[in-house]
Amino acid sequence: SPPGKPTLTSCRSPEKETFTCWWEPGSDGGLPTTYRLFYLKENIETVYECPDYLTAGENSCFFSKNNTSIWVNYNITVVATNELGSTMSDPVDIDVMYIVMPHPPEKVLVSVLEDKDWPFLRVSWEPPQKADTRSGWITLVYEVRIKLEEKDDWEVHLAGQQRVFNIFSLLSGGTYIVQVRCKPDHGFWSEWSSSTYVKVPNYFHRENSV
Amino acid sequence: PIGDLLDRASQRSDKLHSLSTTLTQELDSHFPPIGRAIMPRPSMCHTSSLQTPNDKEQALQVSESDLLSLARSLLKSWADPLVILSVSANTLPHPAQSTISNKLQELQEHTKNLGDGLDVLSGKMGPAAQTVSFLPYSGGNDIGQDRLSKLANFHFLLSCFRRDSHKIDSFLKVLRCRAAKMQPEMC
Repeated sequence: SPPGKPTLTSCRSPEKETFTCWWEPGSDGGLPTTYRLFYLKENIETVYECPDYLTAGENSCFFSKNNTSIWVNYNITVVATNELGSTMSDPVDIDVMYIVMPHPPEKVLVSVLEDKDWPFLRVSWEPPQKADTRSGWITLVYEVRIKLEEKDDWEVHLAGQQRVFNIFSLLSGGTYIVQVRCKPDHGFWSEWSSSTYVKVPNYFHRENSV
Repeated sequence: PIGDLLDRASQRSDKLHSLSTTLTQELDSHFPPIGRAIMPRPSMCHTSSLQTPNDKEQALQVSESDLLSLARSLLKSWADPLVILSVSANTLPHPAQSTISNKLQELQEHTKNLGDGLDVLSGKMGPAAQTVSFLPYSGGNDIGQDRLSKLANFHFLLSCFRRDSHKIDSFLKVLRCRAAKMQPEMC
């Protein structure tokens, strides 16, 4: 039978400069099936085809900087074809300004410092490498979360645009897990960074901080 | 100093865009895309004639005064349409009509405050920053006769504002980071 209807599942831009779209194939009708992505750009009659089916892996289309415009509507459709016919997905309208989801922050470091004999954690990180915060083209805010290794509940702190965050009230001798994530001013939260473990030295006060 | 003015201006532009996003979500909550798709409506925003950068490379090549001039031109072009949106909101056939109406009042206030701030800022950034492009809104006061066309045209106008407020926010944040050269931790 002709192929089933593919579905455009999502489009994301990691740094407001490029973007990628992914689709879910429908049934292949028991026959070899190919997928092609076509798009229209706002107020332009030309029908374009996906510029790069490879960079972002299977069932995806990558739009490089040269193929990415912001504040411009893209009307995107995926077509599945086998020898018995073709089936089109529902079209999806996107504007890169609304689909920014950065990679997680990098180089997360956690050090134990002391303030008048009280230990505290200093968490520091770098923005994801691809996000150009330096020029202001993308503005990121961050969140830090921390929990005791053996516990389940996280304590979450909004760090704003800063890249250093101090955490006090620690459990003497406790081992903590720390993660950081980021979000553009108008967009989606990244995934959490990988876990960073830190052990707090024993000190005379045993208080449950988390 | 200009850095502080730009910092405050970009906080206001950030808020302005967030407000327009919340308003759009409020509107979308009871106005399915299907209703919008079948409705004829203007295809271009009234500000689309203004040539603005469309990616990072273009934006970073624009001078400070031109970026500010673009932001001011876009913002000033919304003075009249926001009044039309505000008046139309009072009779909008939408379950969240009063919320939308209140949010629009807030939007107008923020737009005015940001505009006043940019006027002060442009005075400190030289004559080129004073240039403002005139982008007339020719859509008329009436946004539609029947329920669906009212909602579709209202939605379209709001989507144009949302896009322009994102442009303004992006331009001001680039300006802010240029001004913050001496404080690298700021950007």
